[in-house]
Amino acid sequence: MTESYQLRTEKLTISFGGLVAVNEINFSLSPGEIVGIIGPNGAGKTTLINLLAGLYYPTSGRVIFNDEDISTRPAHERARLGIGRTFQLIHPLEDLSLIENVMNGFLFAQGMSLRHARDAAAEVCILLGLSDLDRPVSRLNILETKQMEIAKALATAPKVLFLDEIMAGLNSTETLTVIDTVKRIASEQGLGVGVVEHVMGVIRQLTERVVVLDGGRIIAAGPYAEISRDPQVVSAYLGEAHDAED
Amino acid sequence: MKPTRTTGSVIALWVFGVLGVFVAVLPLLAGPYAQAIGRSVLTYLILAVSWDMLIRSGQLSFGIAGFFGLGSYAAVMAGKWLGMAPILTLLLAGVVVALVAAAVGSVVLRLRGMYFAITTLALAEIFRIIIRNWNNFTGGPNGALLSGVIFGGNAAATYTLMLVLGVLAIAASEWFEHGKMHFALTAIRNNEVVAKSSGINIYRYLLIAFVITSAMQGVVGASYAQQFGFVTPESSFHMNYTLIPLALALFGGMYTSWGPVVGAVILGVLGEYLKLYIPYGHLIVYGLIIVLVLLLMPKGIVGLVRARMREVSHD
Repeated sequence: MTESYQLRTEKLTISFGGLVAVNEINFSLSPGEIVGIIGPNGAGKTTLINLLAGLYYPTSGRVIFNDEDISTRPAHERARLGIGRTFQLIHPLEDLSLIENVMNGFLFAQGMSLRHARDAAAEVCILLGLSDLDRPVSRLNILETKQMEIAKALATAPKVLFLDEIMAGLNSTETLTVIDTVKRIASEQGLGVGVVEHVMGVIRQLTERVVVLDGGRIIAAGPYAEISRDPQVVSAYLGEAHDAED
Repeated sequence: MKPTRTTGSVIALWVFGVLGVFVAVLPLLAGPYAQAIGRSVLTYLILAVSWDMLIRSGQLSFGIAGFFGLGSYAAVMAGKWLGMAPILTLLLAGVVVALVAAAVGSVVLRLRGMYFAITTLALAEIFRIIIRNWNNFTGGPNGALLSGVIFGGNAAATYTLMLVLGVLAIAASEWFEHGKMHFALTAIRNNEVVAKSSGINIYRYLLIAFVITSAMQGVVGASYAQQFGFVTPESSFHMNYTLIPLALALFGGMYTSWGPVVGAVILGVLGEYLKLYIPYGHLIVYGLIIVLVLLLMPKGIVGLVRARMREVSHD
């Protein structure tokens, strides 16, 4: 890869009223690496993604992408720059078919014509194992919905991709399918991937590096094996006197 | 990967097309009375189509009468003060209303749902009040009169003009339904956060839709004013220009090009027919039909037909 891009934040902070949801976070994501973002409910994981994707603007601190400060760029521009994401609560566009849902990214983030977008969307859907692409989204099962969610994000031609609890609701076989897909796509396309997940097994299998949030702050960072033994992480994330593997 | 049309839908398209041309040309053969009905149907048809084009983005406008009235006044003022040819005043009205819509749109399109709806309603009222009080330019409460009407009152020519405008409106609506606009507006209606994340500039698409549909309403207002040669604040901004198109689109089916067209033709012709038999009661019957349709088939006539066709093709 000749292109070198990196997403990083400098003391990224956002507060809602008196609540500091994300507090002076320094986070970075490089091409080809898969980083886990974990922490208890309310730790600020999704808020961090929303700040990176431009749905929120920081109270202070900066978001930097390719050496450019993008802190005040709106969400649709960040999608075009190459910051893709999926949503924790999945909202398929119910009045568009499966393939039309995926076409949006090609049409608007990449500026393709309808004809090209349709072909490109079909390709991405097939890559993810989706078929019968003209179905209304109401006919998709949970696995297909998750696959479509990833396809929608890939359609924006992301350089970094955030998956927000994409495995939630999947059984173990389906989870393995999605883990394989994510690994394959990340390495093939040289994507930087940020994975928010509650299932520790997924984090262990998927990520090289883990960032642990609690109360809006990073309390630990490092390889999974190290993190899972960190007493501070164990007590914050799982309650005291528990082992992270349980 | 493109969905192929079934034989059934091709036949339906042809039947619909031939029927459409027949209905459109019929008034030209049937004489001035039919042409008058046709003009009225087309007036509301274009308003209904334009309203539907905007609601595809989820934005419910109650401001049709405002842009209709503004277009009426723009045309009559251009005729009165500049002596502009009637047909050109239609164009001018479109441009004037587009500019006004762009200016107010940049503010009101930040609002959503009920707030947007109520604000558009208030806008229409603001336009009316300004015009009513701008005595030395607009003629104030008495309105203004032109020395003549468009095409010298020739019914066939006027009907043809409305027919051309109607075809243009449907073409614009089809362009919205089959182009990128369809994807942008549907995504915005379904979920704005998801739309943004796909790279859709929500504000830009909403503004384009708002300006185009408002300009359409302005041109219809201009053509209407030119047919009768006068404007008054009360008649040109009448609430009917908002309520009737809305009812027609709901009746025919929202979010499609053909729903408002079918609604306008059926209810428009039926309304005229009922007028002959129950002179003052036709509006009650009209209202009852709309209530029944909305209760029994909430997606309108076109929605129901589409659902049936889908069922048949899946059997």
